[in-house]
Amino acid sequence: MTRPTPKEIKAIADVAGVPVEPDVATRIAGSIGPAFEGFAPIAGTLPFDLEPASFLLAQTVKVSR
Amino acid sequence: MSSEPALMSLTAVAKAIAGKQLSSHEVTRSCLHRIAQWQPKLNAFMTIEAEAALKAADAADTELAKGQNRGPLHGVPLAHKDMYYDAGHVVSCGSLIRRDFVASTTSTALQRLKDAGTIRLGSLGMAEFAYGPTGHNYHYGAVHNPWKFGHVTGGSSSGSGSAVAARLTFAALGSDTGGSIRMPAHFCGITGLKVTWGRVSRAGAMPLSQSLDTVGPLARTVEDCALLVGLMAGADPEDPTASTAPVPDYMAATSASIKGLRIGVPTSFYVDDLDADVAKILDDTIAVLKREGAVIVKVDLPDQRQLSSACQLVLATEAAAYHKRWLIERPQDYGPQVLMRLQNGLAIPGVLYLEALRWRGPALAAHVAATANVDAVLAPVAPVAAPSIAESDIGNAPDAEAVIQRLTRFTRTINYLGLPALSIPSGFTAKGLPVGMQLVGRSFDEATLLTIGAAFQRATDFHEKVPPSA
Repeated sequence: MTRPTPKEIKAIADVAGVPVEPDVATRIAGSIGPAFEGFAPIAGTLPFDLEPASFLLAQTVKVSR
Repeated sequence: MSSEPALMSLTAVAKAIAGKQLSSHEVTRSCLHRIAQWQPKLNAFMTIEAEAALKAADAADTELAKGQNRGPLHGVPLAHKDMYYDAGHVVSCGSLIRRDFVASTTSTALQRLKDAGTIRLGSLGMAEFAYGPTGHNYHYGAVHNPWKFGHVTGGSSSGSGSAVAARLTFAALGSDTGGSIRMPAHFCGITGLKVTWGRVSRAGAMPLSQSLDTVGPLARTVEDCALLVGLMAGADPEDPTASTAPVPDYMAATSASIKGLRIGVPTSFYVDDLDADVAKILDDTIAVLKREGAVIVKVDLPDQRQLSSACQLVLATEAAAYHKRWLIERPQDYGPQVLMRLQNGLAIPGVLYLEALRWRGPALAAHVAATANVDAVLAPVAPVAAPSIAESDIGNAPDAEAVIQRLTRFTRTINYLGLPALSIPSGFTAKGLPVGMQLVGRSFDEATLLTIGAAFQRATDFHEKVPPSA
């Protein structure tokens, strides 16, 4: 996944009900874009039946050395 | 006993009041005296409630004279980050939008401290809506670092960091969503405990990101943090995400030995691009822990950049969702930096947000596997000491964004994994600015961090250093 373009950001913000001006969309693209790129190796690779609640299970795993 | 009660630790002053060596009135007056000296320079307090505090102190002394002791913090005056709901009091959240918001309930964490006997000194400054890592606040002005005026305190618990370091309050609640307890602790030379996500109830605490928010203390010593978290932790019917896991005896943990405990030092990321002072202090910290009997080993952690990115996606989306109504109705009432950060969340598709949440379990499992051979991981809180307020002021300094990005890279990964982390004062730079190290533990194993941190503080005196007079 690559970082979204200002045009895409403007569209998604409009749909979210919080329209932004083009210059704001450009700034957002520069600011949050690196997070999209950093997460790109994970996005689209997760197994079908993985629940967000798996985090709570991982929290309770006992570790023994 | 110190001639100036405000200079004592929380545990020491609580014992002195309970034992009637000091009255709550004397202690409160001592804090108010220091607040009057420091506040004009630090801007650490949002409100100072001197008259009410002294009245409450007198009531606490009267109760004690009658043999009525409310709890382990009877008559101890405290102030907290201005985001903890306290019924009948304004809770501004550091914002213009909530400048006149009067809470109708009291947050669970705060209520548990009140039940233990604390009294209210006032409220402390913070980044607007806890969404900023430096201590800048567009509406109320930046909070200053008592070690060097004109330098940041770290945020978002900026007032908590500054006021505890300057000995204006014995401890303070902060909150940590991406580093907001550990960074002020690091920059201000005090101790801060970010608890495991779910360890302390978030009910009545202003939300920023429900998946990442944690409630915790900033204090002068590890022992003080242990006392406070022991009082606050545990199940809460008002917060279904608060864990029902038993609360260990954290105070007992602070006197245990670290002999044989294994502490991992990351081989990458947390040791990359450190300022020379921070790198030396990391080495010095390792040497102290070794001398105290810990076994230091290298650990290879999974890719931390992916964790950091996932954390940013979760935080930005959840923060934007909380604020959506005000983003529509009152965008002009946000400071420019906070508005920009909130707008970032508008760009994240729902599917990507949920992927970032779904990955959290496997990411934590991978971390647990990578650290199975150690009891805790040691890393710097940040690669640098406190920058100046001017150089980290977005909009006025050309490199501010880069400066700020550098501050938060070692903390937000831990929030994504929901792990506990204890920030301890570990040394000073050549310019006299404090530096902290963080000990990162296993989920719900705050006790081991407190054991290691307390042993470090028995062997060093960085936590006892007080900023020169205002």
